[in-house]
Amino acid sequence: MSSRRPPWLLQRRFITTNTHTKPTSNPTHNPKWCVKQVSKSNFSETLENIKDQILKSDYIAVSLKKTGSHSAPWHRTLPIDTAQTAYLKAKYAAERFQLFQFAVCPFSIRDSKLIAYPYNFHLFPRDGLKLGMPCYSFMCQSSYLTSMANEGFDFNACINDGISYLSRAQELIARNRRGNPVISNLEQSSSPHSVADSLFLGRIQSRVKSWLKACKESKTGSEDALIRSLRKLMVGSEEYGSRPCLRIDVCSERHVQLALEVLKEFADDVVPMVIRAKGGGIQAVQVVLTSSKEDKDIFEKEQQCKEEDQNKLVRGFREVIDLISASQKPLVAQNSLNDFTIIHSKFLGPLPPSMDEFRTSLHLAVPHVLDISHLMDEISPLKKLNSVSAATSYMKRRFFAPIDAEIPQKVEADESKSHGYDVLRISQLFAKICSVLKISSETDKHSSSALKGYANIFNPYSASSDNHMEEDVRLSTDHPQKISTENIVFVWGFTLGTSAKMLRNQLLTSSEVLSDEFDVRILDKSCAVIAFSKPDSSTKFLEAMESGGNNCDSLSNLISEGLRAADYETYKRVCSLGLWEVKLADSLDKALETDFDGHTEDSQKESTEVYWRNSDLINLDEL
Amino acid sequence: MRKHMRMLMRRPVSQTLTLIERSFCSSTTTSFGIKNVTKSNFDAALLDLRQHIRAADFVAIDLEMTGITSAPWREAFELDRFDIRYLKLKDSANKFAVVQLGVCPFRWDPNVSAFLAHPHNFYVFPRQELSISGTSCEFMCQTASLEFLAKYQFDFNACINEGISYMSRGQEEEARRLFTSLYDDVFLDSHPSSKDIKDKPISRVADVLFTERMKSKISDWKNGLLQVRNRDHECQGSRKESFQQFENIFYLMRPAVKLHGFTSRQLRLIQLVTKNHFDDLAYIRVSGEGTSLQQLLVYTDSTTDKDLLMKEVKGILLKETELKIKNAVGLRHVIDLLSSEKKLVVGHNCFLDIAHLYSKFIAPLPATGEDYISSIAKHFPYIIDTKLLLNNNNVFQVIKQKRSTSLAKAFAFLCPDIVSGVKTSGSAYKPCIKVEVQVDDTRSSNWNSGAKHEAGYDAFMTGCVFAQACSHLGIKFESQVPSPSLALEEKLQGCINTLYLSWINGEIIDLTTGKRIVESSGSSDRKYHHSKIFFSNIVLLWGFPSKLKAAEIKECICKVFGQSSVASIYHLDETAVFVKFSKAELVTDFLHLKATLEKNNDPISVLHPLSKILDGGCTCAANYEVYKEICESPISEMLFADQAATIGIKWKTKLFVPKQKESHRETLGPEDGQFTGSTSPSEKEIKKLVSVLDGLSSGRTSNRLADSLHLAQAQIGR
Repeated sequence: MSSRRPPWLLQRRFITTNTHTKPTSNPTHNPKWCVKQVSKSNFSETLENIKDQILKSDYIAVSLKKTGSHSAPWHRTLPIDTAQTAYLKAKYAAERFQLFQFAVCPFSIRDSKLIAYPYNFHLFPRDGLKLGMPCYSFMCQSSYLTSMANEGFDFNACINDGISYLSRAQELIARNRRGNPVISNLEQSSSPHSVADSLFLGRIQSRVKSWLKACKESKTGSEDALIRSLRKLMVGSEEYGSRPCLRIDVCSERHVQLALEVLKEFADDVVPMVIRAKGGGIQAVQVVLTSSKEDKDIFEKEQQCKEEDQNKLVRGFREVIDLISASQKPLVAQNSLNDFTIIHSKFLGPLPPSMDEFRTSLHLAVPHVLDISHLMDEISPLKKLNSVSAATSYMKRRFFAPIDAEIPQKVEADESKSHGYDVLRISQLFAKICSVLKISSETDKHSSSALKGYANIFNPYSASSDNHMEEDVRLSTDHPQKISTENIVFVWGFTLGTSAKMLRNQLLTSSEVLSDEFDVRILDKSCAVIAFSKPDSSTKFLEAMESGGNNCDSLSNLISEGLRAADYETYKRVCSLGLWEVKLADSLDKALETDFDGHTEDSQKESTEVYWRNSDLINLDEL
Repeated sequence: MRKHMRMLMRRPVSQTLTLIERSFCSSTTTSFGIKNVTKSNFDAALLDLRQHIRAADFVAIDLEMTGITSAPWREAFELDRFDIRYLKLKDSANKFAVVQLGVCPFRWDPNVSAFLAHPHNFYVFPRQELSISGTSCEFMCQTASLEFLAKYQFDFNACINEGISYMSRGQEEEARRLFTSLYDDVFLDSHPSSKDIKDKPISRVADVLFTERMKSKISDWKNGLLQVRNRDHECQGSRKESFQQFENIFYLMRPAVKLHGFTSRQLRLIQLVTKNHFDDLAYIRVSGEGTSLQQLLVYTDSTTDKDLLMKEVKGILLKETELKIKNAVGLRHVIDLLSSEKKLVVGHNCFLDIAHLYSKFIAPLPATGEDYISSIAKHFPYIIDTKLLLNNNNVFQVIKQKRSTSLAKAFAFLCPDIVSGVKTSGSAYKPCIKVEVQVDDTRSSNWNSGAKHEAGYDAFMTGCVFAQACSHLGIKFESQVPSPSLALEEKLQGCINTLYLSWINGEIIDLTTGKRIVESSGSSDRKYHHSKIFFSNIVLLWGFPSKLKAAEIKECICKVFGQSSVASIYHLDETAVFVKFSKAELVTDFLHLKATLEKNNDPISVLHPLSKILDGGCTCAANYEVYKEICESPISEMLFADQAATIGIKWKTKLFVPKQKESHRETLGPEDGQFTGSTSPSEKEIKKLVSVLDGLSSGRTSNRLADSLHLAQAQIGR
């Protein structure tokens, strides 16, 4: 994997090991192109700047650097994947790996001119609040770390100075766990009081009254220090900041409500606050006495500011995500499924079990996601261009679409050795695509509707957004030929190193069930897929396999040598059960071992189709 | 340099000044760094280390890892049975990577009556130099552990950029197999892809044209060779033009062409042309720059010459492979050396370290703890744990009363001379054993880099502590004949090959006999350590309402089964608890009752005291055996309840048939007369443990997290 890195990386590597030379001959390093590097130390100042730029720009490009992607060849999205299985694969990766860099680039396109504000945020999931969040542990792939290192990425700085974050879901948990008092904004229900309730009410009421009285008395009369402290001890008065306060311990949510109800009576001078227990739930109600109406307002404002500051600290980098989300601007990304599953799991909340739920959930936060590779499909429908650099060079060869890039922000000289250029490349490529596709770059209503057709397509192998409900898949990337998933059968247990052709011949001679109309592809070393062109053939073949060869000697011979077969449903079950073994064959075996219950209902889906190509092998490298 | 700066920064100013003064006035200086070994200087360092290890009396080791536990509920608990403990150990060793290996050979130098130490600090990174299986090499990082390492200025860049890679024995065998099959392919043309082409006649027009063109070009070249030599230079000019992709070279004293810029299909066609039409040309693949194979056409005089050439090429390839594999084996050479020299290996609280060494360099960890324990001795015949040594000898009672037996504290107490770098007369014990340090050619009698939690330095400290401890035990190094004799020393026999399984409850294991014992206390009788744990009394409960605290769970169960029914409740994490019943029958009763309540969802079961626990409908319960099943899974979800769901537990209550044999019962009490030299752990440690457990049982989750962090730190750092 690592041996196949582009030559310019090797060159940089040489440079970075020799610290005295400056990177001068880096072809991608355009002096104009400076990406602002952001870490913990300059995060808050950057936040102010990026806020404006996000609001002013038309689009926002994002690009992520992860600590890994897939652990085995079949874990990546294959052409035979339906939207759902592709999503489950992306989900598995998103949940395991970590983000170290998140590049954001708000940009606008004005008359073939790209105005971009690129930022590269360095992240590390530091557990600043000691809550085991944002993440207890994560996976790394050495090849990913090595290639990051070759680009000169500073891991020491990342771990020491990376920005932490909490997802929206985690923030809720964190808020409940911090023991700080928070001004209560609980809904008060007026359910009838029981006897116990009334007793509690009365007790609290008298306690608050006597405390108030004591406070007022002590304010007027000058007392001896000893008496004052004694009094404090008796009424249980404490101080919150410079203001006196009283703590009422509660045992249940009901008590909290009752206490708040009592305190309404004294609403003119007291502010009720709730203290949450570490394990969740409310531990006590704190009553803070303010001296006047104005003082009360001041106090409430103070508290709000304090909470806001706290929250900022807690949210960390997620502030940026929240800004992007609030702006409702279209996001441009490459390989959007992988990127946005990560964004969802790290910054919004745990990933839902199905693609549709994910789509809905993400849509609430980010309404428009434009995937560069789908836009490229429009320009070159036959050739799949999966990397930004491949797409860029393709565009350069085929089209004359000059785009001037302007980066107004200034970046200090020492930041010239920077990362996150991909986000600029994505913006530039997007600008080119827009000019080739004649999509007007102004943000009027017309153009956004033109782009809408390309928005929110997450399945890497589906062509447009409206067929996302179908589960159509292909067998390969080029020359697609749709094939229903019903006609696909997985076979494994053949001799290692068998080629697709050999396997096909073996199968062809072994059974009458198999007429000439089927095709075989090797998926990973252990497993192959057969695609039948006749609708019933797959069932017939599976039946023959089930019956141990159907009186056909050579097939039963193959079976006795270990050949096994399963339908597409088994593959789906592999993904939904999370049986991510290194070899697909092992996963399929495991899926067959598990009970069948519970999957019968959800499999009665509409007919689904996949694509097939006339070549021996799926070239995994081009995916 | 970094280390040097660090050393200066870590010392109080006054001390630094004296050091500088000293270095000016004496020939020995203390200001040289530890021997850091990375990819670039590994071969040279290994050569030196080989000598040092062979001559050493013992070798101290230490590891730094990317993490300890993959999920909070996988941390070590008091209620872990041995098989569970092993599963947790295995999980940790399998998931996390070693990023630093400290190796420090110690040799007694009779000339100066001091130990000579050679501290080495290896940066490690699992890079997988030879990609064999096609799967990516991945490892887990625990966020807290990375932060901990960062706090002690661990250089992650050096580790990732320059770290030494390694290959286990299994991987090496696989690589060898792969290379052999690759050569068969080169020489016998048995590769399926080349067969494909050979099988069918060349049918594509483009292929036919290309083949013809190549045929003529190759014969041109051959004819050119056969022409008179002195006309060569004329031809060469024209040849260069026409054969841009053909570069004339000499290979093994024979004229040859290097093929440039062909696609693999074209190369296969050229190979075919050569085979079919040119008997005196040999098509060979040799390794070129980088990892790619270079394709050559070599002219041979005759078939015998061709055979000779093939033999030579095969020899070269084999040699190259051997070198490649040797390089890829990398760091394992160090471990192999320790193992083959049968050296006494000294570590501090090193049970996890040994497991990492085993899983990374020797073989995947066996399925059961018993198998693992019995196979350690085959590779590391003598292991000493200094923590155990200090805790189990009455001689060190003073240390235990004053300090904990963490490495840094033990080092500070036992070796004050080395710590301060100055000769002190007033040590608590007899005068210190002198330790001189040699890094490359520099030697010093008072070296101390002070870089705690750096594997090399930690190994050095461990070795010093061991040397000092031996001297206190009355072992005379002067009389020692070299090598294994120290391991056979009578005074160490109580400690050799015994390791802490877990220092939470002081359970230790004897690697030679496989017996497990709890450290017994000599004087003070502590109930805590003598209580036997009956695992058949334990119910594992998870998925209950998240707000439920341990005390409430206990209350609910006590309402049903009586006040004394529940002995204690331990939190695994916020979603799961162990309920320890006072009697084993209660376990069955509880599980049956739970199942019944869930089955009839009538008003009575709603009002039942247990309904508070069952609220939400996701509460699951099972006996202790299920805990093992869950720990066995390679998956590590953050929360226990999620883990159980992920590994596919669908039932809510697992009713089990009580087994006849008493295999679930594990005694954790001291077994009479089997371990003589043992004493109780220090007061402080017990207090700490008790407070940890209090935290656990009272369900203060945030404290638990703090504890786990503390634990993790303690385990990494010791």
